[in-house]
Amino acid sequence: MTLQQPALAATAVAARPAIRRDRSRLLQEIGMLAPAVALLTIFLIVPFLLSFWTAMTNQPLVPRPTPVRFIGLTNFLRIFKDDLFWTSLWNVSRFTFWVLPVQCGLAFATALLLHQKLPFRNFFRGLFFLPAITSMVVVCVIWGTLFQYPTGPLNQVIGFLSGGRIQPIDWLGDPNWAMFSIVLLSAWQAYGFQMIVYLAGLQGIPDELYDAARIDGANAIQRFWHVTMPGLRPTHVFVLVITTIQAFKLYTQVAILTQGGPKSSTETVVHYMVRAGFEEQKLGYASAVSVILFLIVLVIALVQRQLLRRYDV
Amino acid sequence: MSDLAISTLRTEVKRERSAFGSLRMVQTACIFIIALVVVSPLFMLVIASLKDDRFQILADMGSFRAFWVSNPTLANFAEVGNLSGELAFGRYLLNSLFILATTVGAGLIVNSMAGFVLAWGSLRGRALILSLVIALYVIPQESIIMPLVIMVSRAGMTDTFAVQIVPWVASPLYIFLFHQFFAQLPKELFEAAEMDGASVFRIYRSIFLPLSLPALATVSILMGIETWNQYLWPILVTQTDYARPIAVAIATFFGQDSIFWDRAMAASVLMMIPILALYLAFQRWFVSSFVGSAVKG
Repeated sequence: MTLQQPALAATAVAARPAIRRDRSRLLQEIGMLAPAVALLTIFLIVPFLLSFWTAMTNQPLVPRPTPVRFIGLTNFLRIFKDDLFWTSLWNVSRFTFWVLPVQCGLAFATALLLHQKLPFRNFFRGLFFLPAITSMVVVCVIWGTLFQYPTGPLNQVIGFLSGGRIQPIDWLGDPNWAMFSIVLLSAWQAYGFQMIVYLAGLQGIPDELYDAARIDGANAIQRFWHVTMPGLRPTHVFVLVITTIQAFKLYTQVAILTQGGPKSSTETVVHYMVRAGFEEQKLGYASAVSVILFLIVLVIALVQRQLLRRYDV
Repeated sequence: MSDLAISTLRTEVKRERSAFGSLRMVQTACIFIIALVVVSPLFMLVIASLKDDRFQILADMGSFRAFWVSNPTLANFAEVGNLSGELAFGRYLLNSLFILATTVGAGLIVNSMAGFVLAWGSLRGRALILSLVIALYVIPQESIIMPLVIMVSRAGMTDTFAVQIVPWVASPLYIFLFHQFFAQLPKELFEAAEMDGASVFRIYRSIFLPLSLPALATVSILMGIETWNQYLWPILVTQTDYARPIAVAIATFFGQDSIFWDRAMAASVLMMIPILALYLAFQRWFVSSFVGSAVKG
């Protein structure tokens, strides 16, 4: 009490300069926030809102003398009537179906291994992250050679392991294999991120839980199912959702290696959008595709929110 | 914990250790197999870039010669490393480096300032702005790119460096990461400095920023990877050599009838060096910090 007395008096005396300081403080805060707010508004919010408007016009890529017309939902109706759009949606779904178990499974297994007290585990952790920092373009150069038909390294290894029983596979040229090949190189490139997320999740489970389980007589497998897995629930949700969203945005590797082929077997939603916008120059139509893409991503993100809320984190 | 419990725990742990001896072997073997799968393609890339004959590269691919070069040469690098002309990968590399440095540099400043004000400022509506920023995180780059192309071409920004830098400086994810990092620092830090009469900017600049090395390193790596690997945006907004980044230039190898693998490999190695350096420089602070906050968001 006695300590607070002089402090109070000082506040009263300093009240007027404090107001002035408050105002300059407020100005400073606005100044520090302004660059981010301005940039996000111009380059994220405005184009985002514009995409809904553009999607309902016949906006071309190159300006034409005829004015841009409002055409309502025509673009969306045309998209829904286009078989190639449904093919692209089906393809990214197939891609997601394969890439989730391959990429997340590999990431989870690697994280479990590295979470043990193995020698050089920091070294290996750094090593396993290398593909994740490698540009997708470079990954395409590497895997473009690995996939060579018929005598590329991958076919040679498979031929060797199978004693020549498995015929060489035309990885990128066979419509039945092309998307799976894209899955392989994508999982190889991106699993390092998920591995790091899983490692952080594993580190977040308190040791006391494992000790308590041991005292209760739980063996390693029981501890895995009853301590590790429940502790990782939010991590699993996060990893699965992020990977699914990334899968729906599949573009670069397809654009470089297969251009959507062979026979549209690797056509994706983003590739379809870019082609509509820049080869066919129908920007309004492409914007409508981008709105659909956003809605898909939004739904996945909302599902994540619901799941995380259910697990109470 | 009772003594009995502790001793049970100890014998249990001991028993497991001996049983895990063989398991440890299996685990180590698995690690090495994964390492082989992860590293051998990268190793092959580096080896192939040191071979001069592009037909030899493909012929070697099917055998263990893919992992061995008898007379290494830097001829491929000399061939593609020009600063002008047809194979001006030296120039594209410098373009990319410039874009990387300016984007990440500006991004660190802009996003950390915003994150700081949202965490410690006295502005009314901070919470609202923060939740708006988090909501914006859902919008994928791919779904704003069409209108953005119209906007930048109307503004006459096509084929410049600015068009590859300015739109991606501010980012909801990094503002959020900085916010999470600053918010968990002790309140006393801010109050003590405020008592001494330091301004908000001063507190940010002299006290909080020097303490945020893990956040700065994490954002540098994430933003660096993202910027370095941009592909879709630059193919839409660059047409000439002037501002073309190296990723776009390497992709043009694939448009040709027969790919010059020797050149493509050398250019790829060139492209890997800077981002690898960035990663090695900052990775010490990287791993632990970023993920926790991302999962909770």
